[in-house]
Amino acid sequence: MPEFTVGLVGAGGISRVHAAAWRALGAKLLVTSLAGAERLAAEHGGTVAASLDDLLGQVDLVDVVTPTPTHQEIVCRALDAGRPVVCEKPLARTGADAAGLVRQAAAAGVALFPGHVVRYFPEYAAMRAAVAAGRIGRPAVLRFSRGGMFPSWAPWFSDVTESGGLLMDQMIHDLDLARWVAGEVVEVFARSHTADRDGYPMQAAHVTLTHASGALSHVQGLWGPPHLGFRTSFHVAGDDGVLSYDSAATPAVRLDLAPLPAGGEDHPETPTGESPYLTELREFADAVAGGPAPRVSAADGAVAVWLATAALESLRSGTPVRLDTTALLEEIA
Amino acid sequence: MKVALLSFAHVHATSYASLLADWPGVELLATDPDGATAPPGELRGRALADRLGVAYADSYDDALAWQPDAVIVCAENSRHRDLTVRAAAAGAHVLCEKPLATTAADAEGMIEACERAGLFLMTAYPVRFSTEFAALKSLHDGGRLGTVLSATGTNNGHIPIGDRAWFTQPELSGGGALVDHVVHVADLLDALLEQPAVEVRAVTNRILHAEKPINGVETGGLVSVTYADGTIATIDCSWSHPDSAPNWGGLTLQVVGTEGVADIDPFGTHVGGYAGGGPAWLSLGTDLDRAMLGHFLDGVRSGRAPQPDGAVGLRTLRIVLAAQESARAGTAVPIPQLTS
Repeated sequence: MPEFTVGLVGAGGISRVHAAAWRALGAKLLVTSLAGAERLAAEHGGTVAASLDDLLGQVDLVDVVTPTPTHQEIVCRALDAGRPVVCEKPLARTGADAAGLVRQAAAAGVALFPGHVVRYFPEYAAMRAAVAAGRIGRPAVLRFSRGGMFPSWAPWFSDVTESGGLLMDQMIHDLDLARWVAGEVVEVFARSHTADRDGYPMQAAHVTLTHASGALSHVQGLWGPPHLGFRTSFHVAGDDGVLSYDSAATPAVRLDLAPLPAGGEDHPETPTGESPYLTELREFADAVAGGPAPRVSAADGAVAVWLATAALESLRSGTPVRLDTTALLEEIA
Repeated sequence: MKVALLSFAHVHATSYASLLADWPGVELLATDPDGATAPPGELRGRALADRLGVAYADSYDDALAWQPDAVIVCAENSRHRDLTVRAAAAGAHVLCEKPLATTAADAEGMIEACERAGLFLMTAYPVRFSTEFAALKSLHDGGRLGTVLSATGTNNGHIPIGDRAWFTQPELSGGGALVDHVVHVADLLDALLEQPAVEVRAVTNRILHAEKPINGVETGGLVSVTYADGTIATIDCSWSHPDSAPNWGGLTLQVVGTEGVADIDPFGTHVGGYAGGGPAWLSLGTDLDRAMLGHFLDGVRSGRAPQPDGAVGLRTLRIVLAAQESARAGTAVPIPQLTS
C-alpha cells in the first residue's frame, strides 16, 4: 500500500483503537478534535491539525470518530473536500441525514465507509459466510445479544436526542448484522425498560425484526451496571442447522487471578486473531486504493440507521412499525 | 396410593410411567384408549403398557372405576378438559400435562371442576423443579439481581412429530411451537417475577420443517411479553434444534437486573465429545420429571396444594392465546386482567 495520510476527527474512546489500527497499516496520522488531539497524536505518533479545514487539505482519507450528532456535518464537509470518509456508526443520527450523505458521496464519486465493525469480528464473519454458503439451509429464527456497562464516561451517550441511545448507538450493530445474515426487513417491533441505581442509569431493550424472507430476528441490547463485562452472543437457526456463539462461553484466554479493582467494559475484546478494527480499516483502505468493495456499504450504514429509527418509533408508539428496506435501498441509491 | 395415567399421547407419558412403576407406595394403572386412533407406527395403548411393564385398563371409565387417588393427564392438548373433569368427578387429584388446555374456557372449566370437588389441579412444568431455576429464584428473591429489567427465554427442541404426529394437528394440539414451547418459560417468569403479563406481541413463521406434515402450524416464533412492572421478556419457542443434534434441545433463561445478569441452562450440563461416529451428549441434570412427580404425590399425601397449580396453567395459557392472536392480527395484544 503506498504511503497515505489519515485524518482522525475526534479523540474519544474509539479514536485510540482506530489510531493504533491506522498506524499498523503504515498510515501517517493527522488529528483534530475539540479536546484531546495533542494526547492522541502523541500516543500514536501523529501530528495535530490546526482545524478541520486544515486537516481536510492534507489527508488522503478522513476517519470520523466524533459523537453521533456531529457526524452529518463533518462527513458532509469531508465529502465536499473530495476525501474518502470512514465514519463510525451510526452514519448519522437520522435516516434522512444518513441517506443524504450516501447520495452526496455517490454524486461526488467519493467513497464513504460506515464503521459497522461487528461485520469484521471473526465469529460474525464466519457465521455469515456459512449461512451465505447455505450450510444451515434457510435462516428461520435468529437471536443476537450485546451488553456491557452503561457508557457513563461521556454524557452524550445517555442523551437520546444526541445519540439515539441504546438502540441507535449499540443495538445498531446487531440490527445491521441481522439484515446482513437474514436479508431485508419489513417490520420492526421494540420494547425497552430503564432503571437507575443511585443515579447510574441502565437500559435493556428487545427488538424483533421480520425479514422479507419470513425469517425472524430477536435483537437484545443492554447498557447495564458498572461492573458488567462486555458480552455478545448469537444463535442462528435455519432449516438445516444452527450456528451459535457466546463470548462468555468461548474465552480465548481464560484467567483465574485475584480480583482486580477494575470496572466493566463497553466494548468487546477480540476473541482471536487480529483486531477486527484493523481488519475493517484495512478493507476500507484497500478499497480506496482500488481494491474490492468492502463487505459493508454506505447504503448499509444508512439502512442500519433507518432500522434503529424504526425501532425508536416502535418504542414510542408501542406498535410494530412497517418499513421496506428493499425500497429504501433503491431510494438511497 | 393409586395413580392412573390417562393416555399415552404426550411424549412425557413414557417417562412418568417408568418412574411411577417403580415408585415406592404407588400403584400404577395406565389407559390409552385414544391410542387406537393414532397413526400406525406410533407405539400406544396396551402395546406400550406391556413394553413398559405397567398394568393397563381398556377405557378411561375402567381406569376411573378403579378409584385412583390421583391421575396424570397425558392426552392430546385439546382433550385435557374432558379427562380432567371426569377425573375430578371420580374424586382424583389431577396432574395435567402442559399446556393446561387449548382455550381459556377449557382451562377455567378444569380449574372449576377440581376446585368444586376439593381436589388439586397441578400443571406439569418440570423445569420449575430444576436446581438451576431454584438458584435463580433465590438470587432474585434475595435482591442479588436488583430490579429486573428484562428476560430472554429460549425453549428450542426437536419437532416432536417423529413420535407423536398430533403435535402438529391443530385440532388436537391447539397450534404449533407457540403452544408447545412458550409455556415453560412463561411459567418460570411467572414464578420469578410474580407479576402479571399485560401485553403480548408475537411473530411466527413456517420455515423450519416445511417439508414435514406440519399442517400449517408455526414452527418458529418470537414472543415479546410485557409485565405489569414494565419488565420486558422475549421467548424464542422455535422447534429449531436440528434433527441431527445429539440432544433433544433445551431451555435457557437469562435475567437482566440492575445488579447484573444471570443465565440458567437447566438442560445444558453434560459430558460432550464424539462417540459412534457423531457428537455425543450425556445429560447430567437432575431428573426433573421425578422431582415434579414427587412434589405432586407429596401434595396428594399431605394435603398441601402442589405448585404450579391450575391458575398458573391458565395464566401461562393466556400468554399463548394472546401470542396466537397477535401473530394473526399483527399487533400487540393486551392480556385480560382478572379483577379478583
